Amino acid sequence: MSIEIQHLSRHYGATRAVDGFSLQLDDSVQVLALIGPSGGGKSTLLRLLGGLEVPDSGTIRLDGKELPHSEDGLREFRKRNGFLFQSFNLFPHLSALENIVLPLVEVHGWTRDRARDRAQEVVERFGMSAHLGKMPAELSGGQQQRIALARSMAHEPALLLLDEPTSALDPEMKAEVLDVVEELCQAGQRIILSTHEMGFARSCADEVVFLARGQLVESGKGETLFTSPKTEVVRSFLGKVMKW
Amino acid sequence: MLKYLISTVVSVVLLTTFCFVLWVVASHDYHWEAIRPYWGNLISGWWVTLLVSAAALVLSVVIGVLLTGGQLSGHRLPSVLCRIFVEFIRGTPLLTQILIGYYLIANSVGWDSRFGVGVVVLSCFSAAYLSEIFRGGIESIPRSQWLSARAIGFTGWQTYRFVVIPQAIRRVLPASAGQFANLIKDSSLLFVISVHEFTMQSREINANSYSTFEAYLPLIFGYFLLTFPISLLSRYLENRFRYEH
Repeated sequence: MSIEIQHLSRHYGATRAVDGFSLQLDDSVQVLALIGPSGGGKSTLLRLLGGLEVPDSGTIRLDGKELPHSEDGLREFRKRNGFLFQSFNLFPHLSALENIVLPLVEVHGWTRDRARDRAQEVVERFGMSAHLGKMPAELSGGQQQRIALARSMAHEPALLLLDEPTSALDPEMKAEVLDVVEELCQAGQRIILSTHEMGFARSCADEVVFLARGQLVESGKGETLFTSPKTEVVRSFLGKVMKW
Repeated sequence: MLKYLISTVVSVVLLTTFCFVLWVVASHDYHWEAIRPYWGNLISGWWVTLLVSAAALVLSVVIGVLLTGGQLSGHRLPSVLCRIFVEFIRGTPLLTQILIGYYLIANSVGWDSRFGVGVVVLSCFSAAYLSEIFRGGIESIPRSQWLSARAIGFTGWQTYRFVVIPQAIRRVLPASAGQFANLIKDSSLLFVISVHEFTMQSREINANSYSTFEAYLPLIFGYFLLTFPISLLSRYLENRFRYEH
């Protein structure tokens, strides 16, 4: 995907969540991973890229087109993409199936039959067919996250944004979800994700960006960044998180 | 251990009190024949209470929703106006509102239907409380649900319709049912503008027959007959809207 971010800033009061961030990537990048310490601006950057927030200053161009600033324009932009949150955020009053079907019908104007067929197809791919009729409260965290992932990609989004998709899960469930994300990567889905799973970032991402204090510290191919980091910040961070 | 002690004490106290009250009430020397000529009045009063309450219940939900909408609209003027209305209504006595509503406001525009004015004043009064219940219910839906709806591409209206309201309904049901029961009982204050409802009929029977308990005791059963079904309906709906199994 071609991404051009220039001097992007988003402040909350005195907190500079994203602070003059710039990045340029060409079409060869299909999967982009954002890594770095918590509170470093990964989630905010992802929300800006997903059109969930508007920057205080700076611009984002995706595939040559600048992100709109009006709420209507941003909603059209969000409809084309998919967004997954750390805490699943399924609608608790709807079954797993309805969680996937509702946006397809109400936002994308599909017929119910077509939406249901599509939901079944996606869920089968994620190994969740047996759980379609269940309510979110009846599903484990890993199952909820896989349903949420199915919801975010059922309409074949141009871009899938994943905000720490496995941070709220135990190791076994992490693996369940990462398997599915990996499968999506291999199928050619364009993905930007923030993650603390260094192994996953290294093996699946075409490009890895290290963010701290709202700024880009270092970026590069996964292999290069993990084996020979150029900056001391990245070296010490990787040293700590890879130790155990 | 303490839990069992407390629940035993509470059970014994409640049961004793209940039996005592029942015995006192039942052992009174009643003269039901004294109010026999007035049964028809009681029944017609009960009907009036039923009609006033039913009409006010529907209208109060409509006004309550509008007041909630106004407060959450995000526009300053309707938000402030609705807020003032709610605070004013909640902070002043219903009795005065009924008097002013009928003798001053309705009179000045030439509307003299006591029943109609009664329904409108009662509705406004109840709507102020309902709108606070509704607002609380909507604001209790976590931010993550709104964010998720936004990410999916829902419009503001779709977010309310498909995500927020279905979840809020269950949360506001118990408190709303309580408010509806209050509305039914509050309708008894309409006697000040001579709406011949249930309580007013009892007062008149008491005055005519000098039989206080015989005149007022039917009120217990009459009002309970109206409020209890609401309580049952609320329980039923709570179960229907339950989503955490």
